[in-house]
Amino acid sequence: MLLWLPLATAAFAHASLNSTEPPDGAVVAAAPGVIRLIFNEPVSPTSLKLTKPDRSSVPLEDVVVKGNALEITPPADLQTGTHLLSWRVVSEDGHPIGGSFVFSVGHAGGPPPDTAADSGWPVWAGLWTGKVMLYLGIFFGIGGVFAIFWFVGGDTATRKPSLIALGIGSAGALISLGFQGLDAVGEGISLLFSGSAWRAGLGTSLGPTVIFVCVGFALAALALLSGKGREARWMALSGVLTAAFSLSLSGHASAAPPQWIMRPAVFLHVAAIAVWVGALLPLMLQLRTKSPEAADSLQRFSVFIPFAVLVLIAAGGVLAYVQVGTPSALVTTAYGTVFLIKLVLLVVLFVLAAANRWRLTQRSRRGEPKAISMLVRLVAAETLVMVLIFGVAAAWRFTPPPRSLVSQVQRNVVVRLQSPEAAADVTVRQGDGGAVSLSIKITGKDGQPLDPVEVTAVLANPQAGVEPIRRKAEKIEAGWTVPDLVLPLAGRWSLRLDVLITDFDITRLEGEIEIRP
Amino acid sequence: MFKTIIVATTIAACSSAAAFAHVTLEGKEAPVGSTYKVVLRVPHGCEGKPTQVVRVQMPEGFYGVKPQPKAGWTLETVKGPYEKAYDNHGSKVSEGVKQVVWSGGNLPDDQYDEFVFRGTIAADLKPGEMMYFPVVQECPDGAKERWIEIPAAGQKAPDLELPAPGLKLIHAAN
Repeated sequence: MLLWLPLATAAFAHASLNSTEPPDGAVVAAAPGVIRLIFNEPVSPTSLKLTKPDRSSVPLEDVVVKGNALEITPPADLQTGTHLLSWRVVSEDGHPIGGSFVFSVGHAGGPPPDTAADSGWPVWAGLWTGKVMLYLGIFFGIGGVFAIFWFVGGDTATRKPSLIALGIGSAGALISLGFQGLDAVGEGISLLFSGSAWRAGLGTSLGPTVIFVCVGFALAALALLSGKGREARWMALSGVLTAAFSLSLSGHASAAPPQWIMRPAVFLHVAAIAVWVGALLPLMLQLRTKSPEAADSLQRFSVFIPFAVLVLIAAGGVLAYVQVGTPSALVTTAYGTVFLIKLVLLVVLFVLAAANRWRLTQRSRRGEPKAISMLVRLVAAETLVMVLIFGVAAAWRFTPPPRSLVSQVQRNVVVRLQSPEAAADVTVRQGDGGAVSLSIKITGKDGQPLDPVEVTAVLANPQAGVEPIRRKAEKIEAGWTVPDLVLPLAGRWSLRLDVLITDFDITRLEGEIEIRP
Repeated sequence: MFKTIIVATTIAACSSAAAFAHVTLEGKEAPVGSTYKVVLRVPHGCEGKPTQVVRVQMPEGFYGVKPQPKAGWTLETVKGPYEKAYDNHGSKVSEGVKQVVWSGGNLPDDQYDEFVFRGTIAADLKPGEMMYFPVVQECPDGAKERWIEIPAAGQKAPDLELPAPGLKLIHAAN
């Protein structure tokens, strides 16, 4: 009989991790100065990686072997939130073992979700102001230039408001870019003048919007400069179309599915608004100065505007239907509330417009002074209401539409794992900042009920170099649950459930889950 | 760090039983039909905690089990039916010890001990096959180490995380 089988014994020999400092899942008040991994025998580290709450990873190089433990000095500036430390070591027998554990500094979770929670009020105010200025520029500026050449007969005496509006709009476009960038990186207003904020802004969907809207402003300005000719008309028209196109490139509505309806709907809605709003100030100026062309302008406008309004309402209806979804969302969500306010303002607007059209237009065309002065006042009122509507619509920047709230709730994925002895249905619920909870139902083979002694979940992300992280599941009435996982990286994670059917019988069920960013 | 790995690998290559975490058997092979003494080697506790209970499950085909008492530990056995009857010195046995439990002891993580029991390997088992003895170590605060996985077809014991100690069956000695 063989007395000594070194190879046979060495083949089974692995080190194992006894404990860590901070312990797995702990929340510590301040960033730890040293992190310890204590094994049952001396090991040498081959790879140590720290994934931070913002999902970036750094290798940990400052490590010392002290007896059975590894002492790691982490980088000095650890953020608050949950960190994942992934380790891979070689035990004395040469066999590698690996694992991961999490600890949180200050509070558990990731950095706040990207709804500008870090940026603060000044950035939000900047975003809103920039957007309103942009709307003023597009609708009073580009729209105004369109109206000059298509409604009021090229009367450039009315161009002053449009020019001012174009200036405001251009400034608004630039401001929007800067604040959007700040919002995207979650920084405060102090960094407004750093290049990174502007580059970040350009990188968002607002970047192309701003580029195209500036093209639109340029076209409108060129149209004004080039005088009364045919080119001016077409440039003005191109300006409107470019501006409408630019707004269809960004925003909640444009991004919503079905894209083939939503983007054109935004385009048409914006174009129609530009046609309507743009005409208000030039018409008002012509009426006030008792210009002889006022009557013709009014005529042209009132003939054309019903079509524009029809397109406006149809496109707007489509957008509202997709974005709001259910009538209850009107009162239960912030988006819905903003929509209701806009709706109220729209009703006021349409009442004014109807009064203008059916009570005052004909009489003003005939030259009745009382009608004309009334019309001027009501058009001024329309203008004011429109500006209010712009302010309200700009607030939508800060409210997610109900359709996206629904899809956030629906971020549950159900995965079925199987082994010869058992099957498991795992519901993966994803929250913010990488927080994941698992709900597990275990059944025996052929669907019989199974009451395991213990269930452990093991998750790893080998592609990102994250070693397995273990959590014991808690038994609840409906099955088993792992309530407080933090998986700080998006992508494909391997999930394994170690189900202890009896004390002496373990079965492992393997599968994969997708963690969305 | 590189140097440490070299040193570590050299130590590993030279030493054999120096550092191992799994519960294993001292003897690796046994003839079928023989009475055999199983020695379980327990080198570690659970994550550094001392071992206080050791439980072994007897595989089917290992009968007539008699465990060896250990000073400082309480020895108990759990009896149950066998799947078939075995011949024990002429009489048929269809039930016997299915589980052996040593409890109430305290084996610190930095100490080593062996747990011994004796039994008969059924003569009609096939030589070349493996016989596995699943072991559970229980430590304070509910910590447990389980060496209970049996390789499926195509798997080898070193592939498993928690391999049960295994005994290779060989031809009966004549």
